[in-house]
Amino acid sequence: SCSRAKDVTMPAKLPVNFFSTRSPVIDLFRGQLDYADHLRQDSEIVLYFFYAPWCGQSIAAREEIEHVASRLSDQVLFVAVNCWWNQGKCRKQKHFFYFPVIHLYHQSFGPIEYKGPMSAVYIEKFVRRVMTPLLYISSRSKLLDFLSNYEPGVLGYFEFNASPQPPGYLTFFTSALHSLKKDYLGTIRFGVITDKHVAEEISLVHSGSVYLHRHVNTSLIYPNDIMNYTAENICKWALENRETLIRWLRPHGGKSLLLNNELKKGPALLIFIPYNPLAEIHPLLDEITKVALEYHNCNKSQTAEPDLRHLGDTDSPAFDSSVPDAHMKLPETFSITKYPCCNTVVLPQWHSISRTHNVCELCINQTLGVKPNKVHVPHCNFLEIEAALDSFYLQEHTFFQVISNTIECSNFLSFYSPFSYYTACCRTVNRHFLSFISSEKTIFQTPKVAFSSHGKKDNTQRSIPHIEDRNCFIPNLHISGINITGLSCRTNKTLNLYLLDSNLFWIYAERLGASRSIHLKEFAAIVDLKEEVHYVLDQNQSLVGSALENFIKNFSILYSPLKRHLVDDPSVHFHEQHVITEVTTNTFHDTVFLSEKNVLLLYYAQWCGFCASLNHVFIQLARLLPPDNFTVARIDTTRNDLPWEFMTDHLPTILFFPHQRKEQSVKFPEDFSVNLPNLLKFILHHSSLSSSEPCTKECLHKETVLQQGHISHLEREIQKLRSEITALHQAHDQLEAQLSEARREEHRLQQQKHTLEKQHKTLQLHSEQLQATYDQKNQELLEMAEKLQELADASENLLKENTLLRILVASREGKLQSKDEIKEPLQSEQTLSEDNDVSVSTATATLEKKRIDNIDTIETEHNSGNRTE
Amino acid sequence: RERVRAMFYHAYEHYLESAFPYDELRPLTCDGQDTWGSFSLTLIDALDTLLILGNVSEFQRVVSVLQEGVDFDIDVNASVFETNIRVVGGLLSAHLLSKKAGVEVEVGWPCSGPLLRMAEEAARKLLPAFQTPTGMPYGTVNLLHGVNPGETPVTCTAGIGTFIVEFATLSHLTGDPVFEDVARKALKALWKNRSDIGLVGNHIDVITAKWVAQDAGIGAGVDSYFEYLVKGAILLQDKELMSMFLEYNKAIKNYTKFDDWYLWVQMYKGTVSMPVFQSLEAYWPGLQSLIGDVQNAMRTFLNYYTVWKQFGGLPEFYNIPQGYTVDKREGYPLRPELIESAMYLYRATRDPTLLELGRDAVESIEKISKVDCGFATIKDLRDHRLDNRMESFFLAETVKYLYLLFDPDNFIHNDGSVFDVVITPYGECVLNAGGYVFNTEAHPIDPAALHCCRKQKEEQWEVEDLMREFYSLKKNKKFTLKRASDHGEGEGAKDPEDASSEKGGEKRNSERNSHSLLSCPSQSFNSKLAVLGQVFLDNT
Repeated sequence: SCSRAKDVTMPAKLPVNFFSTRSPVIDLFRGQLDYADHLRQDSEIVLYFFYAPWCGQSIAAREEIEHVASRLSDQVLFVAVNCWWNQGKCRKQKHFFYFPVIHLYHQSFGPIEYKGPMSAVYIEKFVRRVMTPLLYISSRSKLLDFLSNYEPGVLGYFEFNASPQPPGYLTFFTSALHSLKKDYLGTIRFGVITDKHVAEEISLVHSGSVYLHRHVNTSLIYPNDIMNYTAENICKWALENRETLIRWLRPHGGKSLLLNNELKKGPALLIFIPYNPLAEIHPLLDEITKVALEYHNCNKSQTAEPDLRHLGDTDSPAFDSSVPDAHMKLPETFSITKYPCCNTVVLPQWHSISRTHNVCELCINQTLGVKPNKVHVPHCNFLEIEAALDSFYLQEHTFFQVISNTIECSNFLSFYSPFSYYTACCRTVNRHFLSFISSEKTIFQTPKVAFSSHGKKDNTQRSIPHIEDRNCFIPNLHISGINITGLSCRTNKTLNLYLLDSNLFWIYAERLGASRSIHLKEFAAIVDLKEEVHYVLDQNQSLVGSALENFIKNFSILYSPLKRHLVDDPSVHFHEQHVITEVTTNTFHDTVFLSEKNVLLLYYAQWCGFCASLNHVFIQLARLLPPDNFTVARIDTTRNDLPWEFMTDHLPTILFFPHQRKEQSVKFPEDFSVNLPNLLKFILHHSSLSSSEPCTKECLHKETVLQQGHISHLEREIQKLRSEITALHQAHDQLEAQLSEARREEHRLQQQKHTLEKQHKTLQLHSEQLQATYDQKNQELLEMAEKLQELADASENLLKENTLLRILVASREGKLQSKDEIKEPLQSEQTLSEDNDVSVSTATATLEKKRIDNIDTIETEHNSGNRTE
Repeated sequence: RERVRAMFYHAYEHYLESAFPYDELRPLTCDGQDTWGSFSLTLIDALDTLLILGNVSEFQRVVSVLQEGVDFDIDVNASVFETNIRVVGGLLSAHLLSKKAGVEVEVGWPCSGPLLRMAEEAARKLLPAFQTPTGMPYGTVNLLHGVNPGETPVTCTAGIGTFIVEFATLSHLTGDPVFEDVARKALKALWKNRSDIGLVGNHIDVITAKWVAQDAGIGAGVDSYFEYLVKGAILLQDKELMSMFLEYNKAIKNYTKFDDWYLWVQMYKGTVSMPVFQSLEAYWPGLQSLIGDVQNAMRTFLNYYTVWKQFGGLPEFYNIPQGYTVDKREGYPLRPELIESAMYLYRATRDPTLLELGRDAVESIEKISKVDCGFATIKDLRDHRLDNRMESFFLAETVKYLYLLFDPDNFIHNDGSVFDVVITPYGECVLNAGGYVFNTEAHPIDPAALHCCRKQKEEQWEVEDLMREFYSLKKNKKFTLKRASDHGEGEGAKDPEDASSEKGGEKRNSERNSHSLLSCPSQSFNSKLAVLGQVFLDNT
């Protein structure tokens, strides 16, 4: 992993538009942060979307932002800033570890970072929260609405009188915004009361008081004297003291211990519902929170209803004592309790000849949970009674024991309405009394009629009462004795309740066994991390309050009828025939225990390297073993849960379940290597084929069958051997071909060798010729040298002659000089002779030069001779 | 997935057009260069990716081109390590996949074939490097003349311990044990030279066995040594290799792991020497998932993913406390390691977060490094400046793992529900039953093939004898008992206790604690909810 330095590089491409130009989002793709700040001055609410153009999450969030922008662009300014481009201001000033980052500003307040899901509805909800951080509570009904909400609420009371803004109001407003920083989902709602009378209902008299509403615990008033009245403090106080009866879980997608921390607190009920944060009403959510409220409602009467109870409470807020008059009476409309309507029911007896009957008075009660706007009827209608009867008969075994003359009453809950429960008071009467009653009073005179609705499924009188879980009937289950109200305090298996938005987190539901085919994404499961079990609310039931209540109740009782849910791999199709049978949770029992074969079961996981590399061994094994007596099966333990006793803690694990002794399964010893002979030995050792008993006719027959199996096995083997022989033949042919190829090659090489040898000879000949030529040339050169020597000698002579001539000339000159002195006119002659002298020396030089040239030529010739050689 | 496919062809076609037969494409200048030898490296490396993308015809064409065009008798100094993982590994996997790709194979396949012969030839050229007193190889060898005189004896740890997968495969397929022997010898030499606290440094002198660079970690210089201990153990069902790895794993956890990051420490003292995360370390979660440590793998993976989110790639070095790149190590040559881990982890968890990483990778690579002629290495992640290089692992690994991440039904992910039966002169073989072991350059090796060619006649006869027992009623009891005692002896180093415990049912329980090294722990209950970033702390 070394890399060489390369000269050519290319700067990153210049940034381009990230949002389309027609988008309502202003796209500062050059990262002009200063311009972004400038824009902020013009708008009350601004949303900044800091992105990096290469970032997948930014690209995915782009559409969501555009969607929100198209809905809110008239009130909110949407500014997108490329915070990646390194020439841009944004990149230079901000240092983000991830993208996109969404910041919101409410005028000067901000930035408030949005950390919620990158989904348009959630973002929009958040923006709206920032737009109106405070709800204005102008009337009592609005107050009730506010207080009945399941989310914690903080209320401030401010008198808007002469001054433009009452003292503290701005702080309160800021604290509402501040809370959004901490709590990006805005689970704490902030409200402001301006009317004195409305404020009195929650015992607030002083302008500037802040009140934290709690459903189960005592509501609180912000302790001005202990804590400074600052936005941060109010927010912190509310967060610390808020009551969380039921919590939303919204994992952010990054590494987090959220579930770990929550689930380690104890068993948890996870409820998955599709949630639209923008919706006005959430009926299902209301129903669930009602259950949660009841569940946590430990010290209140059974009929308490959140908002009403609070208002009617004698428990006043902590700072309340100074204002005793603050309590207000319950409004009439809320206190109406429905009149119970009753019917007498005769219980059938196990023995029809029995002379006594249990007679029960069945009454329908409505809890106070009924909505105030409901129409109340003084009499029961037929449907209600029928529903009550259904419920009643489901519980009827409870009343069979009643054989005394005393009247005993029980309450039990309706399955159809979360607001009603039934009362049954029973006593034993003798027959004639019964007939008297039945003729006069009962609506359903005969048991026959009474059971008409109930008897559809079962044989009427023998029907087993059951509660909610189809699979498990626990005798003597006194569900009627348990009430959801305050159960969290009475049970030692307290549940924490959580909500998850199934639009975002359905994968967790699937992991817990939610069926993938289901359209309605509603699901509830109790997860007990410590016990490593989880229970699932029957998915055929719709997720309603009563179903949840029963689910919780069944979990809470001592001998819980709930059964550990085993997640099963839905992608495996049983009908698919493979060499190796794929077992799932659902088919485990059938394949392993009910089959008439010896079963070898492999526990594996697709991701485990040690399992996957053994695939071929098991395939071979499965192909070898006689299919009539043996099944080779495997189970993917990652996707299929099994009862504890069949779990294994390491993969791969090989278990053998011998025929007729399935309960005596044996494990393939781990320290033996998993290969074909070892597996066969293991199976042979443990299979039940061996029998030492004397052979009977049956055994003989068996033997015949076996022999036939053997014969067919051998035939297969022969077939295999045949194909092996064919393969060998082919290989042989191939080798033959290669051999002849090689021979041809050899022959060719031989020929080549001959040609080469011939060439060699020619070359040798040539070389000899060259040698001869060389010698000859050498000879010639020598001769040449001699000639040159001669020439040199000759030139020597010439030189000598020259010298002589000079002397001669000198002597002549001497003579001439002497003559000159006498005779002037002879001067011109002398000049002539000087000229002669010059020409002679020139000739000498020419001669010398020629000699050197000659030597050069010799050398050159010599060189060329060498080269030729 | 289709975008990944388009990415592949964009790079591949430009390589063929502008760079072939050079080793690599230079995407900025649209030409080619030789980098690790002169083998048309990118072509060899990308070959099996073609098949994974389903392009059978191009695979066949390239196979014939390689048979004619590639020559290892060249006077080139080549890295022993790179030649092994890219060339030998690429040719081996192409050889083993060639039947699936519709190439007409010889009768002896998978135990013979032209590509196998080429791989063998290339590997033989590397053998001279192993001729050292310690058995640890030189880093560089001349393909024609062997080790150059004056060659440096300093080799990185990975350059010593990254042979077993290819070399054992070669030995099993060809029957020549020399390759596996040298690879094992080198591994053992490293094992012998580990420090007292059980760590190895990252460079060693192969003559004197002295550690030259004493930084111990899981990244550059060491990475594939650990990887090959695990993969070798899986491929060969070898307990010895696995026990070595587990020892190292313990030391690594003890000394280098902090908050699910792995740092660099001094190999003798265990003190932190560099608090950095290296891009090359990102293979580690994938390796952990192979041996069943899925939860820890996921936690580390999520750490690494945050770095990707910060830069759109993984810098070669990332300073963890500072949260930024390290000077001179800001590049991202489109390495595959993080995507590789995502692929393995997705197999184990089906967590959508892993697909998200895949999406981010596709977006980043397309937006940042795509140029007219291919995909360019990112020289500096801070400003996304590009370099004139496209490493061959981009097509061999990065694109392959990305594609496999998005293609859960690819034949490579086969869980054993389909397989091929091949008749060879050595008997019948079950092949392509899944469990492919990727070498460190992402070339898949079919473990069944090793068994196929190695299979001896004796085993076949033994199996045949045993099969006879299944069809007889009377005598088998006696036979079985005899076989059971044979069992222990046949395994060699088994003490009698083990053999008897196999018979006695009661003793099995006491044995439960000692699990086979070649196994993965089952997933814990909370793993059901360990998706979308949620992690769980151990209960202990």
